[in-house]
Amino acid sequence: MTLIMVVDDDQDLAEMLGIVLTSSGFDVDLVSRGDEALEVFRNNPPDLVLLDVMLPGIDGIEVCRLIRKESMVPIVMLSAKGETQDIVRGLEAGADDYMQKPFRDKAELVARIRTRLRRTHTDVTGLLAIGDLSIDVTAHEVRRGANVIQLTRLEFDLLVALAKDPGRVFTRDALLSEVWGYRQTTDTRLVNVHVQRLRSKIEHDAEHPEIVMTVRGVGYKAGGTA
Amino acid sequence: MRGIRYALQHSLVTKVILSTVLLSLGVVWLTGSALYSRLADGIRSTSLNSSLAESRYTFFNAEYQMLVSAGMSVAERKRVLAEFVVNTSTQGINEERREVIFVKTPGAKKSTNSYEMSSNIIQTNSIPVDLREKVQKNTKVQYGYAVATYNNGATVDSLFVGKKVRIPTGGRYEMYIVFSLKSQSATMDLIKNSLLLTGIALLLLIALITWLVVRQVVRPVREAARVATQFTQGDFSQRMKVESVDEMASLANSYNEMAHSIEQQITRLEHLSRVQQRFVSDVTHELRTPLTTLRMASEVIHNQRNSFDPLVARSSELLVAQLDRFERLLEDLLEVSRFDAEVAILEPVDFDVISLIKRCAKDFDIASDFTTPEIKVESEHDSVTIKADIRRVERIMRNLLSNALDHSEGKPIVVTVLSTDSEVGIGVRDQGPGLDESALIRVFDRFWRADPSRARVRGGTGLGLSIALEDARLHNGELDAWGRPGRGAHFVLTLPIKAGDSINARPIKVTPKDFHQENFPI
Repeated sequence: MTLIMVVDDDQDLAEMLGIVLTSSGFDVDLVSRGDEALEVFRNNPPDLVLLDVMLPGIDGIEVCRLIRKESMVPIVMLSAKGETQDIVRGLEAGADDYMQKPFRDKAELVARIRTRLRRTHTDVTGLLAIGDLSIDVTAHEVRRGANVIQLTRLEFDLLVALAKDPGRVFTRDALLSEVWGYRQTTDTRLVNVHVQRLRSKIEHDAEHPEIVMTVRGVGYKAGGTA
Repeated sequence: MRGIRYALQHSLVTKVILSTVLLSLGVVWLTGSALYSRLADGIRSTSLNSSLAESRYTFFNAEYQMLVSAGMSVAERKRVLAEFVVNTSTQGINEERREVIFVKTPGAKKSTNSYEMSSNIIQTNSIPVDLREKVQKNTKVQYGYAVATYNNGATVDSLFVGKKVRIPTGGRYEMYIVFSLKSQSATMDLIKNSLLLTGIALLLLIALITWLVVRQVVRPVREAARVATQFTQGDFSQRMKVESVDEMASLANSYNEMAHSIEQQITRLEHLSRVQQRFVSDVTHELRTPLTTLRMASEVIHNQRNSFDPLVARSSELLVAQLDRFERLLEDLLEVSRFDAEVAILEPVDFDVISLIKRCAKDFDIASDFTTPEIKVESEHDSVTIKADIRRVERIMRNLLSNALDHSEGKPIVVTVLSTDSEVGIGVRDQGPGLDESALIRVFDRFWRADPSRARVRGGTGLGLSIALEDARLHNGELDAWGRPGRGAHFVLTLPIKAGDSINARPIKVTPKDFHQENFPI
């Protein structure tokens, strides 16, 4: 069974999330305090974390940072504030995706969770090379020479999405659909923040990227081999 | 010239210095010329008196020589006279040469002996005629001023002093002594030049003093202007320096008090704005969390409605629908309060506005049932890239399209896109019942509805157009509405190609092209 850790201080919402996720076939671990989250996480590592931003103890963004330090588990932030800076802070702390309360419906929540859990790129197998990186899609591993670069599943998906078609320009919308599974949204911050994070891990100099290139006014492309 | 005019208009110092110098120039001129004429008169009369005294002595001496020479021969007398002329012309008090002339009085008894003679080579005809007449008529010493002409062509301002003399065996003669005024006019020139120089120096000094004095007054004024400018530009901590207890200091004190009061007001308003922002943020959080729970719970119930009895099933449907509406209303209200608190932030990105419009139109097509009219998108170009906040532009388009669909009565809706180099116009035209004059004024008001009795087809919040207008203005754009009863409505969004730039033109006029005034007078 897939275990989902829900960290939310609102008892009723947490319970409701538990009901919905359980009925969709997930196991659920409920945590109500930020400072308890890390301990529960270590004792019983979940497959995905649903994390509220505002929490007693330590806040969701800090929890996110702490989890990210020791695990590449998918993290989806739940935000009650629609303010951009909170969302960006969450994404920068290492969250893969965020959902703004109130969710459109249960299906949206479940769909997001499933997207983050699924193995992507079943169409691509074997090795990809981009710049001086080699990507083993099957083994889910990125190497620069002998060094293995640790990427979250989402960062890996983003890199593979670009690298499997080097030189092709992807719009942010196309990436949102390919990597995040959004069919219609215009929130490009998600893409921007993750591209920055990916660059900081794989580029020699994130200010002057050579692998994930920005195409002004359009989107991104993978360069390096061409 | 333009530089001077600019300086006069823009610099107090230049203005004050120039007017002071001009006024002083008048005063110096008047006093200078008065002084000069007094001095000139004095010098002239002094020299005249001494010249006359000397002349009288010379005439007496001449007459004495005549008496002495009474018994001499003509040749001897001529020699005596010539000697006298030479002696007289070289002997003088002020070592200035004087000329002596003997001329025969015309009309006097003919004589064979001519004693006409003159020292030097002065021309006798340079003796003024009126002086000669006066001398001939009077026995006393006469004088006059004239220019003496010498044979070599030189001319000298001179004083002529004349007297009748009788020369034995020669008859009536006039004797003239010519005093050169050369030294006198040199003195006058010296005085004149000195006065002129003094005047100029005085003027320069006055200008300098004025400059120093004015600068003392103007410097604090300039300083005040600088402080006020910086204050206007938003540096509310700027204060004027108070260094004395004069009028400038009291101005500075008043200004500083005003600045302090303004700063306090602004701080208070900023605080209020922050409180408002905080409140909005808190309300968001506090309402959204229970709303999330409510929505999920209602969905769980709603999914089971087939097993409920019809009344409970319907109730669950209403519950879900109203929660939707509640959520939209909450979002709209929060957006409005963000605009009111002026905390709405623009996040511009480059995107193609045509594909955005097409996507919005398509979403409405999918969402709608068979009664929904067609939405046509007409544009000259396949794509128009603008730099704007894509979420806000999408929200404007959704609000405009939703509004048009609500009022279209099933007739098609046309979206026109026209762009220039600096702005893009998007017109949304419906053929619904239209709007009258009074409705047009209120169409962007919050919670205003064109026809309150109309069914709320799409369940709009009544805030859509008002938010759309704020969104447009946040980009420095405009949203205009046009409508005529029975002729539909036309909403035109004009945005700068780059958000924040100003718009100079409207690529699409708010009066639609298919509407002709003459066919349908108001």
